[in-house]
Amino acid sequence: MKFLYKILWKDQSRSHLLWAVVGTMVGFVLLLSGIQFYDQIRNILESNEDLLDPEYIIINKKVNIGQTLGLGSSGFSESEISDIESQSFANKVAPFISNNFPISAYTQSKQFSNFYTELFFEAVPDEFIDVKSDEWGWQEDKEFIPVILPQDYLNLYNFGFSQSQGLPKIPKEMIGLLRFQVKLKGINENQTYPGKIIGFSNRINSILVPYDFLNWANEQYGYLEKSDPSRIILVANDPTDPEIVQYIDQNGYDTIREKLKSSRLNIILKFVLSFLVLIAGIIIGLAFLIFLLSLQLMISRSADKIRRLSKMGFHPHEISRPYITVLLGLLIFVTTSSLVITALLSRKFSETAEKTWYLETNQSLSPELYLVALGLVLILFMLNTLAILISTHRLCSKG
Amino acid sequence: MIIRLEKTIPLPMVELDTSESEIWEADFFVFKQGFSYLVEAESGKGKTSLLSMLFGLRKDYHGEIYLDQNNIRNNTASDWSKLRKNQFSYIFQGLELFDDLSALENIMLKNRITTHKSNKEIFQMAHMLNVGDFLHKQCRILSFGQKQRIAIIRALCQPFNFLLADECFSHIDSRHSEMALELILSECKANNAGLILTSLGSQNMKLDQRVKL
Repeated sequence: MKFLYKILWKDQSRSHLLWAVVGTMVGFVLLLSGIQFYDQIRNILESNEDLLDPEYIIINKKVNIGQTLGLGSSGFSESEISDIESQSFANKVAPFISNNFPISAYTQSKQFSNFYTELFFEAVPDEFIDVKSDEWGWQEDKEFIPVILPQDYLNLYNFGFSQSQGLPKIPKEMIGLLRFQVKLKGINENQTYPGKIIGFSNRINSILVPYDFLNWANEQYGYLEKSDPSRIILVANDPTDPEIVQYIDQNGYDTIREKLKSSRLNIILKFVLSFLVLIAGIIIGLAFLIFLLSLQLMISRSADKIRRLSKMGFHPHEISRPYITVLLGLLIFVTTSSLVITALLSRKFSETAEKTWYLETNQSLSPELYLVALGLVLILFMLNTLAILISTHRLCSKG
Repeated sequence: MIIRLEKTIPLPMVELDTSESEIWEADFFVFKQGFSYLVEAESGKGKTSLLSMLFGLRKDYHGEIYLDQNNIRNNTASDWSKLRKNQFSYIFQGLELFDDLSALENIMLKNRITTHKSNKEIFQMAHMLNVGDFLHKQCRILSFGQKQRIAIIRALCQPFNFLLADECFSHIDSRHSEMALELILSECKANNAGLILTSLGSQNMKLDQRVKL
């Protein structure tokens, strides 16, 4: 009913509503772009694994002269592993497993003819591996053995070996095309499988095959004496925990310290972003209060008129409708415009990232963003509507 | 529909002398649909209180009020809004018009709830009460007497079983008062409704029953 709007909307100051809208919008944009930037930065970091996941720490025993002479073990015994597991900083721990039988690899392609090498494989459970690929994994009928090499190997080959030997350089994307044969040499039988390099790991400096494959192959072909695992991979709760370094030193273990340092960057990034989200949350909370108070102010300014309308036979719900409609309109406006602003900011960020840091980022808003925005707006709408209904009911029943 | 009051008295009246009243403290008093009642009393004897209680605006009273079988204390906000749309109409002493709207808009605000009257009927009523020329003026600039007539017309723009009129001729001259009363009575007849009209007692009106408050 347009008369209702005319009556209730008259002599209302609109400026406080405007501030409520601006406040909510600022909060929304901060929150949404915080999430969006985190999403984008995480994408960047995913291609630079060591920045994203420094919680993974690989520990090995220091090699000393005694081991060279065959005194003392270079592997971790079961009790040593369980001791590491029991430490407060360790979240998950897994030993590397390796092959108990000789392996060799050779190529037959034109470019790499007659390339032959003895080889070793290691494996850790899949959850510790930073290369995500559909080709990873093992069933007995699989037509090739997926292999992950350290990123350093590719660099060594491309920038050192290939140049000196007159071999072609291999871009990362092309490596999948390179096929080679893997020969597993058991005591009674030899078996040859095609091998395929499916990715390069920044995290683990070893030649990795699927955990399931190596277990299966060890059972099938293994005949050498099982040695203790020489390396352990662990997920730390907090990689900056000084206890880790202390523990490693005390037990005469070793790790790559550089990784422990870089983890701080990640911690700071997470801290800054969660701080941003916290601030955004506070702003949205305050904006919500302004919304609530503005609407309550409007209602109490019109208290006399609302009572009058109730005397004329209008139901409190009918009287609330103009307020709810205005609220809905404003909230829809706030959500759409903050999504647009976030999209613009995100594109700007992508362009800057590309120009200054040569980093590829995805420009589109992540789907969670829409969900977050929608959820927040729904909560704001429902709480405000409830408040409106309560106050009009109260006014009407007082008479 | 029957309104039945049982030992009803507004709380502020409890300590006053109400011995002459035919309603306050009476064991029961009944208003019947189809009859007109003139409730007479001096100022401060509870005329407006009575109508406000019947209309659900005041709940501070002793005793009980029944609409047919229902105690109106139990009515919810929805019940009241239904009653006020279809069964009770009220001409307020304070008029309760919206100053920002024109006289006609004030009437239409009420009429649109039930579309009880056609535009033509509204204009006829306005001309009958000599306010036809003011319908498009903002209510704010009308005199109290003109507003009072607008309020009367507005109250007639809904179906009702009872019309509560609270000193509705206080600022209207006797000639227009008679015409207004005639209009009210004919509308009550058309609705087969009861009329409860309060007055200071100075006017000579022919209603079915005079009640001293």
